[in-house]
Amino acid sequence: MRVFRLNVNGDDLEVAAPAHWTLLEVLRYELGLIGSKQGCDKGDCGACTVLLDGSPVLSCLRLAATAEGHAVVTIEGLMPMHKARGGDGADVVQDAFDRCGALQCGFCQPGMMLSARALLNENPKPTRGEIHDALAGNLCRCTGYTQIVQAVELCVAEAAGVEPAQPAWSADANGKKV
Amino acid sequence: MAARDIHGPAPPWGDEFQVIGKPHRKIDGLAKATGHAIYADDIQLAGMLHAKTLRSPHAHALIRSIDTSQAEALPGVHAAITGKDMPVRYGVIPWTPDENALAVDKVRFIGDEVAAVAAIDEDTANAALELIEVDYEPLHAYLDPVEALERSDPLIHDTKKQTNVSKHVHLDFGEVDAGLEAADVVVEDDYSFHGSTHAPIEPHCAVAQFGADGLLTLWSSTQITHYVHRALSSVLEYPAQKIRVVQPCLGGAFGGKSDPFSLEFCVAKLAMKTGRPVKMLWTREEVFYAHRGRHPMRLHYKTGARRDGRITAIDARILIDGGSYSSFGLVTTYYAGQLLTGPYDFPAYRFDSTRVFTNKPPCGPKRGHGSVQPRFAFEVQLDEVAEKIGMDPIEIRRKNFQGSNTETVNGQRVTSNGFDQCLDKVETASDWKTRRGKLPYGQGLGVAGSMYISGTNYPVYPNKMPQAGIQLKVDRSGLVTVFTGGNDIGQGSNSVVAYLVAEELGLAVEHVRVVAADTDLCPVDLGAYSSRVTFMVGNAAIDAARKLRAQVVEAVAAAWEVAPQRVRLIGGHAIDLEDADRGIELREAFHLAEEKFDTLGSTGSYNTPTLGGDYRGGTIGASPAYSFTAHVVEAHVDTETGRITARKVWCAHDCGRALNPMLVAGQIEGSVYMGIAEALLEEHDVNRFGLHAGPSLLDYRMPLSIDTPEIEAFVVESIDPEGPYGAKEAGEGPLHSSIPALANAIHDAVGIRLRELPFTPGKVLRALREKQAPAGTESRAAERV
Amino acid sequence: MLRLPKFELEEPATLDEALALFAEHGSDAMPIAGGTDLVPNMKHRLFEPKVVVSLARIEALTGIRVTSGGELEIGAMTTLADVARSSAVQERAPVLAQAASLIAGPQLRTMGTLGGNVMLDTRCQWYNQTHFWRTSLGYCLKKDGTECHVVQGGGKCVAAASNDTAPALMTLGATLVFQGPTPPGESKANLREIAIDALWKADGIVNKHTEPGEILTAIRIPAQAAGHRGAYGKLRDRGSIDFPLFGCAVRLDVGTDEAVTGADICAVALVARPSHVKRIEDELVGQRVGSDDFASAVGRVAELAYKQCRPMDNSPGDADYRREMVPVYVRRTLHAAAQGAGPVHHV
Repeated sequence: MRVFRLNVNGDDLEVAAPAHWTLLEVLRYELGLIGSKQGCDKGDCGACTVLLDGSPVLSCLRLAATAEGHAVVTIEGLMPMHKARGGDGADVVQDAFDRCGALQCGFCQPGMMLSARALLNENPKPTRGEIHDALAGNLCRCTGYTQIVQAVELCVAEAAGVEPAQPAWSADANGKKV
Repeated sequence: MAARDIHGPAPPWGDEFQVIGKPHRKIDGLAKATGHAIYADDIQLAGMLHAKTLRSPHAHALIRSIDTSQAEALPGVHAAITGKDMPVRYGVIPWTPDENALAVDKVRFIGDEVAAVAAIDEDTANAALELIEVDYEPLHAYLDPVEALERSDPLIHDTKKQTNVSKHVHLDFGEVDAGLEAADVVVEDDYSFHGSTHAPIEPHCAVAQFGADGLLTLWSSTQITHYVHRALSSVLEYPAQKIRVVQPCLGGAFGGKSDPFSLEFCVAKLAMKTGRPVKMLWTREEVFYAHRGRHPMRLHYKTGARRDGRITAIDARILIDGGSYSSFGLVTTYYAGQLLTGPYDFPAYRFDSTRVFTNKPPCGPKRGHGSVQPRFAFEVQLDEVAEKIGMDPIEIRRKNFQGSNTETVNGQRVTSNGFDQCLDKVETASDWKTRRGKLPYGQGLGVAGSMYISGTNYPVYPNKMPQAGIQLKVDRSGLVTVFTGGNDIGQGSNSVVAYLVAEELGLAVEHVRVVAADTDLCPVDLGAYSSRVTFMVGNAAIDAARKLRAQVVEAVAAAWEVAPQRVRLIGGHAIDLEDADRGIELREAFHLAEEKFDTLGSTGSYNTPTLGGDYRGGTIGASPAYSFTAHVVEAHVDTETGRITARKVWCAHDCGRALNPMLVAGQIEGSVYMGIAEALLEEHDVNRFGLHAGPSLLDYRMPLSIDTPEIEAFVVESIDPEGPYGAKEAGEGPLHSSIPALANAIHDAVGIRLRELPFTPGKVLRALREKQAPAGTESRAAERV
Repeated sequence: MLRLPKFELEEPATLDEALALFAEHGSDAMPIAGGTDLVPNMKHRLFEPKVVVSLARIEALTGIRVTSGGELEIGAMTTLADVARSSAVQERAPVLAQAASLIAGPQLRTMGTLGGNVMLDTRCQWYNQTHFWRTSLGYCLKKDGTECHVVQGGGKCVAAASNDTAPALMTLGATLVFQGPTPPGESKANLREIAIDALWKADGIVNKHTEPGEILTAIRIPAQAAGHRGAYGKLRDRGSIDFPLFGCAVRLDVGTDEAVTGADICAVALVARPSHVKRIEDELVGQRVGSDDFASAVGRVAELAYKQCRPMDNSPGDADYRREMVPVYVRRTLHAAAQGAGPVHHV
């Protein structure tokens, strides 16, 4: 056992866990931050993605100790940070994923949304190709990625005050955005 | 069929909707978005132990003895169990119970479960597994289904007929031989479909707690709570009234969580044995061993047609590699033949399908269960027929369209059918008429069509009770809580139930709460499989809500002293249709109803009408409604590398009425992705030792966003007479025709017919060499960098 | 969850402390850089070091700088993402920037380091598996077993070098700086600088010549010829995440008259070591890029590569197909380099 001194979602925390634990295990099983998911055991799926000093990393491969001294942001951190900036409700990325139907089973999406959040922080107007590149470390098994990409593009469009592109099905269904 | 089962596609107040048909958020969307949703592995209980499974390193072996004494002596270990602790066999299909929670006398594939240990943590449990001694006597392992068909010594299972055949079905409809004789064109060929697996991103996980009062609670990542409940009671030999099964939020399933699994029995048994909560979380490798994925099939098809395009007869022979256990295999063997009889009409059809056991991870129901493989073979063959008679591939499909309100050659009732509109949609959207057959060498368009069931009237275990039930409870705040046994596996079925109840009662969606998939709290539903949830649970929800609505309307009408026809529940209010000034909030309307009728609540249910052909197996694949799909795929073939890119996919799907078009589109897009993925990249197979070739998400190549075609989803609404507000399924149908449409697009692009999946670049190059590409065109795409 | 074996983690802040730890623990200790290779390998019980020494807190190991002599010096702990996006690397060693940009996926490039990629363990479908899987197999020559399943009956491990940056650095004539423990009584740093070509040996079990207790500290890339061009080509199944099924790095030196003055091609993901394709300068030197003669020369070079490169059944998938792709990728990558383009990749 050892004590890890971690900065998670803005809080300085001390937490004791076995020395060989990964950051993912400490987040999930000691800090109760269960939003970071485990899908593949070893860095193949991206579900455990967290932001480390703003960059997406895989917490299942990151030894917990080596996260000391860095700012960790998990999916649970996005809404409070959004509120702290005066925002309402969930972070715009989270909200856009919900509005676009991108959350089917939702299991891969914390990682996906953090990859998207990191992209938009660095590049507020990514092209579709840049979105694909930024999400190329996150597997999703439900959506076919279409509504995920739509969600990121919705964030981009709304930030720019532009009308987002409507998907093909919306014309058929006479659907209006709720 | 009881009156309760059908309410017709239109609501009683006319046909305009407040909630239905709009792209509402999902009711659990924000909880998932913010990381607050609780999945099985998120459950942490005080004093919880962690369990791990010892698995067989042999593909086929007898177990002579198991010694767990050293493992049990390891500090930190609380219990070890083996097959002897749970000798009762089970199987999701009650006619074929051939599984044990832990192997009793033999193991049948590498990864088969042998023993389980509960300890203070996973590391200790793993260390204990190393201390279990198992004495195996290896047997000949069958890796080839043909060998398993031809040889019966040794037997994988002690079957009645003493063969390795798991199930054989032969059905004959109409005059097949005469039909083939009368045909102007006959195409006959072999096709091969490989194995693939579901690979939901959430690995299976189960947690059990055993109370001093004898109550056993199991939280499990299952899509069939009710069947798990029954199987637990049977295998544990423990009364079902003392067992509660709960499905927490589920991280994807696709059919991969629709059997009872070893881990569910093991955590339950270990919790009962130790008096401590026990969790088991499978590693990704273990999920690959659990499998239950797409059956590899070898298919032989013969199709006859007249010069005008009409199909005269189809003759099919299918060999199905089942892997080591039955799972849903009985159904698979039927589905492989029974579900081909639409969207086309043909007078004669024969199929002979045989499922054999092999010593590989067991196959089961993956999205499009049993019918994706035959659909591939047939739709590719139909393309060849069109080619031979010089007919446009869309035209030949139109020509054979069966229409709506008809009966298939195998005696299945077809009601709504929007396949013709699906063809129109994809034809227009892909600019088919100007582009197909006219794109430069290396690029092509292909089409295919398909149908799928919206549930089946075969209820897995024989009973005449409803297949779906709903209970509603009304709170004085104006909140309505829906209790449903339905399993939301990410497809959004809980949201669909909320939309339906909100629509009927005139409530805002956020004033409907859903409690689901908890056997203590919710009425029985059979589970999320065979694309039955929207149709069956949806109908039950309308049934329950309409009864409650009648009570509320009656109470309000009585208070206002008007006829009930004048009262409408809409927009959170009860209003008087003839007096615009009169209206009260629904909350107050509920109070009036509670005053009049006492505590409010209602139940609703659904059962299928009597369906199916009048022959053995005629009910399997008999569905109250069928969905229909058409795909056009644009494929690009790099003729130098053999790499195929599905550049764009247009998919139109007839889902009856789209209760939420955004969720329907999500199901279409996910299906298209999964179909193209298994056609081009994914392969679930064993190596020459019977070991899984690559049980990881690195070696099992699932496409990333960058690998996924651009997908345009179109919703066709045929409005089914019996579906909830006319809805049908959308979760599985749209996978089917993506694969043959891709194959047909490759033919349009470079003139090769690929009949063996997956379409790896090596196979493409071999086929191109065999065909001899026209001189000077080989490196057309060569310098793309 | 797949568990890590137990170990003690050390996080020295200086190189000297790290060297002292390796001196103290000897073969019980292993260095960890980004962890993207070692952590999965440890979860698979391919390595079970008692002590893991993280190099992440040694600031001196990170950074990209251009020396006054025009040499590019990259700290071993510089992440692959930083290498890929560095304008200095893109300008002076485009082949390296391209190779780094195609390694794994975005998160892994943020974590993984250039030094870690150079020092990557060889890979094989019979080796990179869990302990259970390997036990069921009966192990293999590389780890715990006596038999190779790639070359049945073979006495030599043919696990594949799978590091994309290795061939890129080889075409650039890079050198590697290792620092070892300072011998008693000495005060000067014990530095060893070797050409990257000298690192490799043809043994899949360990494909590198290293000294006990030393640490790779920096990668040096000499200033390239004035008309230097380079590109990287990578064959893999998916557009991201996957290791190479075949990789080739190309260097072309082009004179002011557009004629080739020097060239090099290195291939990876074949056998245990990355290798130069031989005799290619005989074909390419003197040809003007973009000319028909150049194109014919490229064709002949692709044939040379085909003859010299033999992928084996060490990677998942079809080895015959991989071999067939050797000339295709070599040709496409040569043309990309000639045009100042690249990388060559299917998406």
